[in-house]
Amino acid sequence: MGALPYGKPLRAINFICVAPQAKAVSLVGDFNNWDPSAHPMKQMPDKAWFKTMELKHGHHRYAFLVDGHLTLDPRAQGVTRNDRGERVSLVPVS
Amino acid sequence: MKKQPVVSPPASAATAGKKPTKAPRCRIHPIIIYPIRQPEDYSDLAGLYQLVAKLDAQRSRYARPVTVMDRKTYWSMQGNSAFRDFRNRTVAKHSDLVDAWCVDTCQMWYSGLGRAFEQGGPQDVYWLIPGDFNYGTAMGQEVLRRLHDLPEIVLELGQDLCIGEIEADHNDSKQLIDTYGTFALLYTWFPAEGQEIRRFTERPRSEFFAVCHSFLREVLERRWYGYEQTMVMLLQAVTQRKRISRFFVGQISDLPQGGESLTSALQQVERTERVLKSLWRERHRSDTDWLERYRLLETQSEQARRTASTILENLLGKLR
Repeated sequence: MGALPYGKPLRAINFICVAPQAKAVSLVGDFNNWDPSAHPMKQMPDKAWFKTMELKHGHHRYAFLVDGHLTLDPRAQGVTRNDRGERVSLVPVS
Repeated sequence: MKKQPVVSPPASAATAGKKPTKAPRCRIHPIIIYPIRQPEDYSDLAGLYQLVAKLDAQRSRYARPVTVMDRKTYWSMQGNSAFRDFRNRTVAKHSDLVDAWCVDTCQMWYSGLGRAFEQGGPQDVYWLIPGDFNYGTAMGQEVLRRLHDLPEIVLELGQDLCIGEIEADHNDSKQLIDTYGTFALLYTWFPAEGQEIRRFTERPRSEFFAVCHSFLREVLERRWYGYEQTMVMLLQAVTQRKRISRFFVGQISDLPQGGESLTSALQQVERTERVLKSLWRERHRSDTDWLERYRLLETQSEQARRTASTILENLLGKLR
């Protein structure tokens, strides 16, 4: 633990957003420069929105864009702010 | 956005004979607060110091850990061979011992953070680890595996302060104290700041945190309180628009010696009120009408504290 994992491969992380009434949900974060069109999420049979992302080791800031509204992940392990000062979620990848 | 610090290379890259790079080295300074009352069973402390030993072995990443031990602890246990052995063979082996006479835990924080700060540099991060938790349990081991995230979040995301939040049931005494005491009093004395703090954490008195060098310097230079220093730091951070993060570290609880009886819970609410009153006066003493406003807030604060006391008596009284 603690050591930097240079050379470690990407790790697949599942993101789930429960927004059954939403028309469109996308995943935004530091990993895609908060681009709303970069990673649209797919609605599953249970109406939850799903996306798997391969992320590098470290801590990543992210949020769900639910019908255009930036939304925190209630299951996230942490909360912080992005460069625009908006509250966003944190995911550790190890 | 502050430029993010360059993370130091892993130990394996530090090859002898190579020309050192000019990139600023940033290190994490672990500061362990030894329990004031020595537990009879050393399994929790043994679990914690296994982590400390690992940190001590990674000098490119971590500074030599610091353990703060209150002299009261030492003098009350000096005739105990198990304590002497643990102190000499484990604590002192894997960390620099800071022996200090302290009026309360926050003074131990002050001594430890101050000592580490003096050994640190502008890119460094300081990581406080309280010693009086059940690290020897399965859940405690899990928490120990996650704690390193706190300083890493500060480093990687250029944060000023990262608060570690532990999971507690709604009826847990810590939760009750914060819900009905800490936040009620914060909303009375510093309503806007209290709201902002709660956007990040439900544990404004958490003993788990990591702080960057520049913010620690600001905090150390100001008045340091004997207790509830995390809340004071959070207030300062929110007022100065510092970058704050919160990270969930897991389910863990104080050792039985640190358990919160009703008396302790009431005392913590009273302390919180005292600190907030002092802070408010410090911030507003130059205002012409400060005394009038202070008296009004004092009346409201007393109501909030009494309500908290009644709720705590109702819910925790059975634990007496």
